[in-house]
Amino acid sequence: MPWNLYLPISGNATNILLLLGLGGGVGFLSGLFGVGGGFLMTPLLIMAGIPSTVAAATDSNQIVAASTSGTFAHYRLGNVDMKMGFLLLIGGVLGGTVGVQFIKVLRAMGNADFVIKVTYVIMLGVIGFYMFVESLQSMRKSTPEEAKPREPQKPSVYARLVQSLPWQMRFEKSGVTLSPIMPLILGTFVGILAAIMGVGGGFIMVPVMVYMLRMPMHVVVGTSLFQILFTCINVTFMQAVSNHTVDLVLAIILLIGSTLGAQFGVKVSRRLKADQLKILLASIVLLVMVQMLVGLVWPPHLLLGFKGGH
Amino acid sequence: MRSLAWRWLTMAWCLPVLLVLGLAGGAEAEPATLQVSPDVVEISSFYQGRNVVVTGTMPEGLGAVVEVTGPSTEEHLMRKGRRGPLWMNVGAISVTGAPSIYLVLSSAPDLLKNQGASSWGFPSLIKNLRLSGDLKPDEHIMFKQQFLELKESQKLYASIPGGLAVFPAEDGRQKITGNFWLPANIKPDTYKVCLTTVKDGQTVDRVCTDLAVQMVGFPAFLMTMAYEHAALYGLLAIVIAIVVGAIMGYLFKGGGGH
Repeated sequence: MPWNLYLPISGNATNILLLLGLGGGVGFLSGLFGVGGGFLMTPLLIMAGIPSTVAAATDSNQIVAASTSGTFAHYRLGNVDMKMGFLLLIGGVLGGTVGVQFIKVLRAMGNADFVIKVTYVIMLGVIGFYMFVESLQSMRKSTPEEAKPREPQKPSVYARLVQSLPWQMRFEKSGVTLSPIMPLILGTFVGILAAIMGVGGGFIMVPVMVYMLRMPMHVVVGTSLFQILFTCINVTFMQAVSNHTVDLVLAIILLIGSTLGAQFGVKVSRRLKADQLKILLASIVLLVMVQMLVGLVWPPHLLLGFKGGH
Repeated sequence: MRSLAWRWLTMAWCLPVLLVLGLAGGAEAEPATLQVSPDVVEISSFYQGRNVVVTGTMPEGLGAVVEVTGPSTEEHLMRKGRRGPLWMNVGAISVTGAPSIYLVLSSAPDLLKNQGASSWGFPSLIKNLRLSGDLKPDEHIMFKQQFLELKESQKLYASIPGGLAVFPAEDGRQKITGNFWLPANIKPDTYKVCLTTVKDGQTVDRVCTDLAVQMVGFPAFLMTMAYEHAALYGLLAIVIAIVVGAIMGYLFKGGGGH
């Protein structure tokens, strides 16, 4: 087997074709669905035998590379709300730092793997289920008369709460007015999750911006990428310094695979309908979630394991 | 005069006895020999574990056991238990007296099945393990067995009965040869390889040699960097990721995944 490569941080040899394939596969889905592949990459790396703490930290490093080109492209198109992005970023950096320290404590206690897996099962379960139901509904209601604009409604409790927060300010690019506390808190929340799960947080950040900050979609993608880039830079640095779990070699291999895979994904996505894509993605997300859940519920072969996931 | 004659008589009587004793002693005292090839294993970028060959000689009519042993350190483990529907870590267990790696090969398969007072093989290993932490006295045997299985699943412990080939004797000595797989997840260290010669279940002789495992080249550079210059390593990882990302983005005109 001449295709094995020794990964010193993981402390083991792994098949380079498997890693390129994983990167390529996730990149393909990423290009196909237009979402970040981070949330799929970490669980797949764990399944491939990479210690979960190394998988999460390395995935953050890989996302730095992947989001660099995306942010740049969106910035040139004027799709980045810098003001909102910076506020989310401050929250993200705070949250990322807290998250990394949290993982450090959990590793010392021996339950880091468990928390990473449970967080994944919950997040993948919620998002997968939501996407599945939503796309199923929109497939059923795809008749033109259903697409009528909705009647103006009474502001919800959430909207009133958001409006009652102090220091309301205008975000020109996004066309919204709200308190800077909102993006700060939401950014912190996403930052914590990003550190624990080793993801950019795009799949949490995008719904947060659309549904909770009410930003238009084209600005959401650009701003999300901008925020993800910096959150992941922070998480990568913190993981490297605190936990020594960033595997640079692994990150570069995954990146090459994912960039190439994304090109094919983008081409294939043009031939599929949006709802079909969503259902497909939701199914994949739910499949990964079920696989991880089975691992948590099924009695383990051995009742003893090494501390820290190694 | 009498004393000189007495001395000559004594010498004449003792000489054949000494000669016989000396010859016999020489044959039995000739020790077993052992070599490993290679005796230095390098972990480089394409290391994926490697085969190590052991060869040796021993007096005719003996059995042989070869052990590869790593230094013992305290191992920190977690025991799993059920909390509600989920299996999670529920307590810490420390193991002392466990070598980091233990591979054992024997000439006759029975040598490793022997559960008696032998000082080699898994039964002897289990005897030396000391467990402490969150476990009850009656759980020690079960967790010692589980520890062995855990190490076996990582390919760090292995028992290979009959793994040594013994060739027909020449001049009263037999040649032995065997090989073992040094796993990919082995840590750089100096490991002991020992040949024990055995007769009727008892140790006759024991000879050891060193097997060095060293990390070299790029992996060594990266490890030093990651642990001793962590901040620099972190920055380097970020800069490389941005540069590679920008190049890939430029090549594919920003079509990369995000």
